Amino acid sequence: MNMHIINLTLILVLITTTSLFAAVGCDLNDPDRDVKRLFPESTGYKTLYLSIEKKGGKSLLHQIEQRLGDNFKGLYETADVPYTIYQIYRGKELVGYIHGVNQKGQYGGIQVFLALDLEGNVKAFYFQKLTSKYAKQFREAKFGEQFVSLNLKDFYNYDVVSGKITGPSRVEKIKNPAAEAEPDFRAALRATKKNLILVDEFLLGNKYLKYFKPQ
Amino acid sequence: MINIFQVAYKNLLRKKTRSGLTIIGIALAAWVLVSLLGFNKGYESSLNSDIDNLGYQVLVTAKGCPYEAATLMLKGGIGLRYMKQRIADSIAKQPEVDKITPMLMQAVFDPNKGESGGITAYLGVDPKTFPKMKSLLEFKQGVWFSDPNAYEAVLGYEAAELEQREVGDKLLIPDKNIELKVVGILKRTGTQDDGTIFVPLNALQNIFDKKGELTGIGIKVKKDADINKFEERMYDLPDVQVVSLSQVKQTIMTLVSTARVMVLSIALIAILISVVGVINTILMSVMERFQEIGILKSMGAMAGDIFKLIWLETLVLCLSGGLIGTVLALVTAKLTDILIRRILPYAPRGGLVRIDFSLVLLTLGLVTLIGLLSGIYPSWKASRVRPLEAIRSEVE
Repeated sequence: MNMHIINLTLILVLITTTSLFAAVGCDLNDPDRDVKRLFPESTGYKTLYLSIEKKGGKSLLHQIEQRLGDNFKGLYETADVPYTIYQIYRGKELVGYIHGVNQKGQYGGIQVFLALDLEGNVKAFYFQKLTSKYAKQFREAKFGEQFVSLNLKDFYNYDVVSGKITGPSRVEKIKNPAAEAEPDFRAALRATKKNLILVDEFLLGNKYLKYFKPQ
Repeated sequence: MINIFQVAYKNLLRKKTRSGLTIIGIALAAWVLVSLLGFNKGYESSLNSDIDNLGYQVLVTAKGCPYEAATLMLKGGIGLRYMKQRIADSIAKQPEVDKITPMLMQAVFDPNKGESGGITAYLGVDPKTFPKMKSLLEFKQGVWFSDPNAYEAVLGYEAAELEQREVGDKLLIPDKNIELKVVGILKRTGTQDDGTIFVPLNALQNIFDKKGELTGIGIKVKKDADINKFEERMYDLPDVQVVSLSQVKQTIMTLVSTARVMVLSIALIAILISVVGVINTILMSVMERFQEIGILKSMGAMAGDIFKLIWLETLVLCLSGGLIGTVLALVTAKLTDILIRRILPYAPRGGLVRIDFSLVLLTLGLVTLIGLLSGIYPSWKASRVRPLEAIRSEVE
């Protein structure tokens, strides 16, 4: 009888409540493990939840879109999206940040996470989720390594709409791992630029705004 | 001229702390009672709504499926069990059956989901029968697929958000490297449908090489049919497991009833304590006003007048407590909901505590009745006071 009750309950729980997807957003899947992997020297972290809507509303959204060189698009790229930022500590000392964004890819969602030092330089680039025919090539370590030490200044001369470099920029050294994967390659670069802009707005006090020249 | 209500009210104000504490006692009892009755109503109705949202009353799965469904979550669907599509055809011929919808669940391991990979699941549904059974589902964008063989997908809202898909986009089935065209995005439902990727049944059978195989059949029974008899017959089918949602509901309600009985007992104890508190307060007030009642009687007040006065005081106490308790229950309904959700092993979606006007009236009626009953003894005692005895006791 008890087993029967357990079975029936299990079935109901499975058919009515189980979502086969984790909660939507851009959180690290396993923050304890991922923080330690991206910042081996860390001893702890704090989690901040921020959104463009709460931080500055329409005017901030406009400013971010200008810096990005593209408008926020579609059903999911909106001002009320909650961003999760991890502040990484070694003892009581703040040593860096981890932040991820969702990006529309050619075949599905892409989640690009960046581990950054306090100056906003990329320490590590990481695809948490990538639905692409070329996922294997994108997830090879050598692709992510191309982003290390870059910062927002490098990305200002990258046009996310045309995918072209418009001035001196270290972004031009980043190589697409598969010629057929151009849409996903551009999506990864757009996500990185957007990620860096949001960190600058939310955490770095617009340190990189002085390098921005409106087109 | 001062009326009997004002006299009763002023009498209670003479001992503010005592009256206040008695009212708080009644309010707490009323609060527990309203919340409990609200939970009783809300839980069942939310559970019904959860089951109604499924669109079918009976689910037939391949034997062992519940365990394999757990495997699906853990190991990527490699252990799923299947039944033949002809079972669906034979079930459809049963006289009690109104509609059936065959389903096939498939999952792939996506190594690029998270650090160590993850599962992406697809539900193959019949475009002719599934949308009719799930008539409550609404679209944010697009429509259901119309061709059972089309390589198309309809995504629940959360699935679409995770995959950043909109109508017209492509969706890749990892591992199989097959592209689907997104034709619809559902609105949020708060159910498992939000995280589901729906694909036409035949197309999914082709993609996963499962021609003629199913993992589940949803059955909607005719309104006047004997569902128990039908279920009994379904249990005789070989190699399938029958999940009766009415039975599931009953099981869940049985599990919850244990908690409900416990809370009801606490509410009854709280009510009993507050009844004793009311009797005590009024009785003390009568004792203290022994001489005063004697004087009132010597001035012409009848036993009935004194009884009415004291009974009214009891009623004012109980009604005030009842009103405060009801308001408290209304204000804290959300909080109670959250607390109950933490305690219960399974809680359906929707409000667990539903307090409506009839419930408020019922509680106030109950509290009034309790007040009237608990006021009988002190009022009777006061009405029996002999004027001369009372006045003499003051002289002594």
